[in-house]
Amino acid sequence: MDKKLALYICKGCSIGESIKLEKIETVSKNKMKVPVVRNHETLCGTEGIAMIKADIAAEGVNTLVLAACSGRVKYEEFDFPGCIVERVPVRELAVWSQEKTDAQQAAEDYIQMGIIKAQKGDMPEPYLMETVKDILVIGGGVAGMNAALQSANSGYKVVLVEKEASLGGFSAKLYKKIPTTLPFKEPLIVDVDLEPTIKSVESNENIKVFKSAKVEKIEGQPGQFDVTISSNGSSEVVKIGAVILAAGWKPYDATRLGHLGYGRFKNVVTQVELEEIAKKGAIARPSDGKPAKKVAFVQCAGQRDANHLPYCSAMCCAASLKQAKYVRQDPDAIAMILYKDMRTPGRTEYYYKEAQNDPGVMLTKADVSGVSEAPDGNLYVEMKDSLLGSSVKLEADLVVLATGMVPATADDPVLNLQYRQGPGLPDLELFNGFADSNFICFQYETRRTGVFAAGAVRQPMNMTEAQEDATGAALKAIQSAEHVAVGMSVHPRAWDLTFPDPMMTRCTSCKRCTEECPFGAIDEDEKGTPFFKPGRCRRCATCMGACPERIVSFKDYHVDMIGSMMKSTSIPDDEDEPRVFVICCENDAYPAIDTAALQKMKLDPAARFITLRCLGSMNLVWLADAFSRGVDGMLLMGCKFGDNYQCHFAKGSELANYRLGKVQETLDRLQLEADRVKLVEVAIDEYGKVPQMITDFVDKIKEIGPNPFKGM
Amino acid sequence: MQSSDKPSRILVIGGGFSGLTTAVDAAESGAEVIIVEKNSYLGGRVAQLNKYFPKMCPPVCGLEINFRRIKTNPGIQCYTMSEVTSVSGGPGNYDVTIQRHPRYVNDKCTACNACAEACPAMRANDFNFGMDKTKAAYLPFNQAFPQQYVIDAKACKKDCGTSCKEACVYGAIDLDMKVETVSLKVDSIVVATGWNPYDAAKIETLGSGKVPNAISNMQMERLAAPNGPTGGAINRPSDGKPVQKIAFVQCAGSRDENHLAFCSYICCMASLKQTLYIREKNPDAEVSIFYIDMRTPGRYEKFLNQVQADEKVSFIKGKVAKIKKTKSGDVTVTAEDMLSGDKVEKTFDMVVLATGMEPAGAAQQLPGVNYIEGFAAPGAGIFPTGCSRNPMDVSKSAQDATSAALKAIHAGKGR
Amino acid sequence: MSDQILKPDLEFTKEIIAAGGESLKKCYQCSTCTVVCDVTSDRKPFPRKEMLYAQWGLKDKLLASPDVWLCHQCSDCTAHCPRGAKPGEVLGAVRKMTIQEYSSPSFMGKMVNDSKFLLLLFAVPIIIFLFQLFIQGHLTHGIPRIPNGQLMSYSLMYPPTLYIDTVFVPVAFFAAFMFYKGLRKYWTAMSANYPAPPRKDVLTPLAETIREILKHSVFEKCGVSKDRSTAHKILFYSFVGLAITTTLAASYIYVFDYHGPYPQTNIIKWIGNVSGVAMLIGITMIVMNRFKNQEKAGTGSYFDWFFIVVVYGVGLTGMLAQILRLANIPVLGYPMYFAHLVFVFVLFAYAPYSKMAHMVYRTTAMVFAKYSNRR
Repeated sequence: MDKKLALYICKGCSIGESIKLEKIETVSKNKMKVPVVRNHETLCGTEGIAMIKADIAAEGVNTLVLAACSGRVKYEEFDFPGCIVERVPVRELAVWSQEKTDAQQAAEDYIQMGIIKAQKGDMPEPYLMETVKDILVIGGGVAGMNAALQSANSGYKVVLVEKEASLGGFSAKLYKKIPTTLPFKEPLIVDVDLEPTIKSVESNENIKVFKSAKVEKIEGQPGQFDVTISSNGSSEVVKIGAVILAAGWKPYDATRLGHLGYGRFKNVVTQVELEEIAKKGAIARPSDGKPAKKVAFVQCAGQRDANHLPYCSAMCCAASLKQAKYVRQDPDAIAMILYKDMRTPGRTEYYYKEAQNDPGVMLTKADVSGVSEAPDGNLYVEMKDSLLGSSVKLEADLVVLATGMVPATADDPVLNLQYRQGPGLPDLELFNGFADSNFICFQYETRRTGVFAAGAVRQPMNMTEAQEDATGAALKAIQSAEHVAVGMSVHPRAWDLTFPDPMMTRCTSCKRCTEECPFGAIDEDEKGTPFFKPGRCRRCATCMGACPERIVSFKDYHVDMIGSMMKSTSIPDDEDEPRVFVICCENDAYPAIDTAALQKMKLDPAARFITLRCLGSMNLVWLADAFSRGVDGMLLMGCKFGDNYQCHFAKGSELANYRLGKVQETLDRLQLEADRVKLVEVAIDEYGKVPQMITDFVDKIKEIGPNPFKGM
Repeated sequence: MQSSDKPSRILVIGGGFSGLTTAVDAAESGAEVIIVEKNSYLGGRVAQLNKYFPKMCPPVCGLEINFRRIKTNPGIQCYTMSEVTSVSGGPGNYDVTIQRHPRYVNDKCTACNACAEACPAMRANDFNFGMDKTKAAYLPFNQAFPQQYVIDAKACKKDCGTSCKEACVYGAIDLDMKVETVSLKVDSIVVATGWNPYDAAKIETLGSGKVPNAISNMQMERLAAPNGPTGGAINRPSDGKPVQKIAFVQCAGSRDENHLAFCSYICCMASLKQTLYIREKNPDAEVSIFYIDMRTPGRYEKFLNQVQADEKVSFIKGKVAKIKKTKSGDVTVTAEDMLSGDKVEKTFDMVVLATGMEPAGAAQQLPGVNYIEGFAAPGAGIFPTGCSRNPMDVSKSAQDATSAALKAIHAGKGR
Repeated sequence: MSDQILKPDLEFTKEIIAAGGESLKKCYQCSTCTVVCDVTSDRKPFPRKEMLYAQWGLKDKLLASPDVWLCHQCSDCTAHCPRGAKPGEVLGAVRKMTIQEYSSPSFMGKMVNDSKFLLLLFAVPIIIFLFQLFIQGHLTHGIPRIPNGQLMSYSLMYPPTLYIDTVFVPVAFFAAFMFYKGLRKYWTAMSANYPAPPRKDVLTPLAETIREILKHSVFEKCGVSKDRSTAHKILFYSFVGLAITTTLAASYIYVFDYHGPYPQTNIIKWIGNVSGVAMLIGITMIVMNRFKNQEKAGTGSYFDWFFIVVVYGVGLTGMLAQILRLANIPVLGYPMYFAHLVFVFVLFAYAPYSKMAHMVYRTTAMVFAKYSNRR
């Protein structure tokens, strides 16, 4: 696109009173060669917008630099389709947050940077490739079947891979289930009734089911995955657009629960085994087949336990209440539930109440400390801290252990991705092996684009929840397939049509990008040369930040653009007046700064703010360039990292921090102090602290003294 | 849904986290979405939270991303300060009317604060549950979206003339704004009206709302928030004394047939989170948590372990059923410590009542939507999501809302 | 208590449920009840733990504890219970079962508390008193004959020393003996659960207890059903008054050889009438309170209503018999007196098995609690 720039400076919101526009306008016109330069009393008003639109029509301007307010506001007014729009937050960064004496210089700097950014940027052009939108569902349990049906009913072809010989997953193993509709009424156990679902999956013309099958490997990228499925000795490759991982769970290995009698006594069984016993008929104890009359349920068996599963499986309390009703099908039998905390959240509380409202269902809080032998093949369940006494025991003829859920992904990648970064989803150790999201707000996030987890492989959950979860995952998979088909990113930059476009001729195969990409979007060929898979990319530009050769660019975002912006900024001559760059993440740190400015908090005049897509895109060359120009300090503001990272690109700020570890070399070469660069973690709500953070840093820089390169 | 189809038109009632999620997820899948929000800002309850559990991250972070998704998606239209007044028709063909209440500030607002500076009248700040005041011309909170001021006409001084109007050089103040009625045609409706904190004044055993230093957990969120009434200092309301000894009273109204019969799901985790607020701000503070069952399902257990490891935090199994204020403003609570089997009476600087979530439908029901005990029930083209349909936390709401988006899109197919 | 083996007993739980504790399975152990209870001690308070024992059918823990009797069924717990488990009613049922458990012969306990046997229970005094009429020759063809022609006097129907006392003195001894047997068993059972009482002296606790009962000081602490304290107090003192009346009457006859009917100005009439009216007022208030607090506290069981009806019966027939005598309407007066005797018989003869027994069991439990340093 042939760009024609225009600069519009708004005089509203005190900008006009604080800044002398003439100088800026002259410089922009003459030095920066901006053909159209105008100002307006209220740029966002009807007249202001009309003025811009008139220029677009009459002057043919298509690259607009709007020196007014922050891009976080007035986005509807300043929307000019077909134009590149560069918002320069003069109001926030030069006027509201600066003393009058500092406003002019700040405005000049920011406007100049905005012009450069507009000059260096280009209209995004999507990466288009041949794609399919078919969806692969791994797992044929309740979650998988529901995901398949939801996708198929939305008009998408589905391939369902189930490892067992029949569909149904864990639910098929159940004797009965908890009713799914309120109010809960006797009988409190109802048939699982999976057949209609299985039938509709198997008869759906959009769904192809592979049973006794395994995903051998997944190659390629969203929109064009090549999935190899092996089934009954043969294998087949199918083209897939997006993947739903619904591989479910398995029970925790009860043989590790010897202290609770499992393996030592035949009459100690797991909840899962009780389902099998119940399916066969009356509840009989395994040792001699006698009907069980006194059944003890030990909750949290090997759960909430640092030696076993540290988490709670969320469904066992309700499951034991349900199984108590199995026991109570014999009117003389009693079910004794020994819990740490009864966890029947939400309206499951009603189930608790109804199931408990049976004289033969007895409950107490207790820490079960052991199971030992009692006369007649019975067992003693030993309890501490129970409400029935601090150290008491109960006689039972059958003991049921509520062992927890272990996700299928705990020890198996399942996906078998042929990615340079490995076959499974990364970071699962953060989630105890579950294929979960790290984001409270975005539950279907994984670090593998186009792969969405649902059901008990994602979080411990019950059947109803798994169905809902699968519906959501189906939407995300569909969304992903649709976005990649038009070359658009998915969350969190779900609007972005740019993509990383490396200049491969200059690549040295150093593999930093392939290692650092948080989404495993870059593979390597046999020679170790990276090749980008744009379909996997989330446009965080971490690769751009990683590349020492600075060869990764986006149409509207590249190393030279930011570097040039930095180079354009004024460096005060006065030795007491430092210049500091604050490089901040646009998602959290910048909004925090913007909010501080909105509240008219003062930001240190030494600071010049530059926003990045993500701090992960911070390239070390900018530091070298800036310091060699005489900039006194660089403060990097990124999201919190660590196990509870807040970075929307998972690893961006952490990688920036990691790279800073290597910056010492650069600083040493320039004979500069290490303290001139600092990374701080800033959350979006820390606007109250941000001004002081900056001032503290500037004070530190003042203490160190001016950059010796200043004025050179 | 396939890109060749005509887009589904979805009405999302409620612009809290669930509604926003449904809206952006549906819009990013090609649907046209209209959000109707009764408040003057989007974000709902989440906007009032200081941090999320268990990550202790600020909710505005996720909101900011979602707002950006709204800003960049032409398929989403928002009506704030609006309510649905009638619904007729059926799936694929709903006629909906909404009422837009006057904001008295139009789109010309630049959020420059001049109107607020000029405004002589004050109003109780409902965003902070009345714990402080704002001008009658105000921005709901500093990171509100849309960033547009509001005038609370009820709080206006009759004799001030039009000082706000005169102060606004952009002509953004329009004191003649009237209620507007808008008619819409949509294919499906997502009910995401959320919840209200249960009113502690109804709980006789917990002081009937008459103990000033027994606050609700939502008030605690505001107290701890940097944009709250105290700027984030956890000081008790009666005299501003910094809180040193604090108790959390779980199931304040929840799991109680005299109040909310269900478990509100979030309160255990919320109190653990708020314990961390206090403990992070004050290393000497002592916290007591009185509970019936600690409900930290799934991987939330880790969060419980983290708080349990803090020796300044004690857990007492036993529900508080008696609360009294002392002369000095302290609060005395009584419970049975069930594991020792003795009644305990302890005095605290402040007490947080972990009040539960009452579904919005308990107070106000939407036309054309069925409710069971205040919870919205699904209908043919009507999909309740989030806390309007079941008590749940933010992450569950986010998940649930994504699933609602697909259901709503389906309902619009085959027209 | 180390590794005590618990014996859950489904049947016992079912019995409590049948005895009026049908809501007991709703309890989820939150302990709101113990906190709102102003009557319980702070150490090992009730009724939360009793609710759990009831759910598990732990008979020994429930029936051999003074705590169930320390409860005065104020129903604060029931009113505030978040699950509708009505601890007040459950403890009431447990008290009833305590009476049944310790009273002997045990079949009597069952009969008194089973509506099936209601007619039989009343048949016993009816037959006895009809028989008395028969041997006096007052029965013709099985129909009582109204003594006529003379000034109306119930002594003509049943001469007190020969007929009335020959029935009621043995009944009193029977009741007293059965109470003694029951209480001894109860005391022994409690002593097993709370061994080695630190206080050896029983008299001081007894005195304290009596003082408390006279003052109704425990009852006064009730919240939800505050009015019950007043009602109970009136009824309690009406019984005291009637006991005094009876004692006076006995001394008139046996010491002073002074026989009735006594003039209305006699002190015995004053005390008797005031007490009789108080009894009716008291029991009416109790019934009204029950209906007033129905929603929060429940209306009670057959066990309660049996007692209420009998008290009403005694009071009403007594007062009416007197009025009818003064009005000289023998046709109604004599049958009324007959009914009065039947009700009084039912009240006393079945006292060890009916709610009347709460008087002695509660007193015993209160004494034991003090004696064993329970509070």
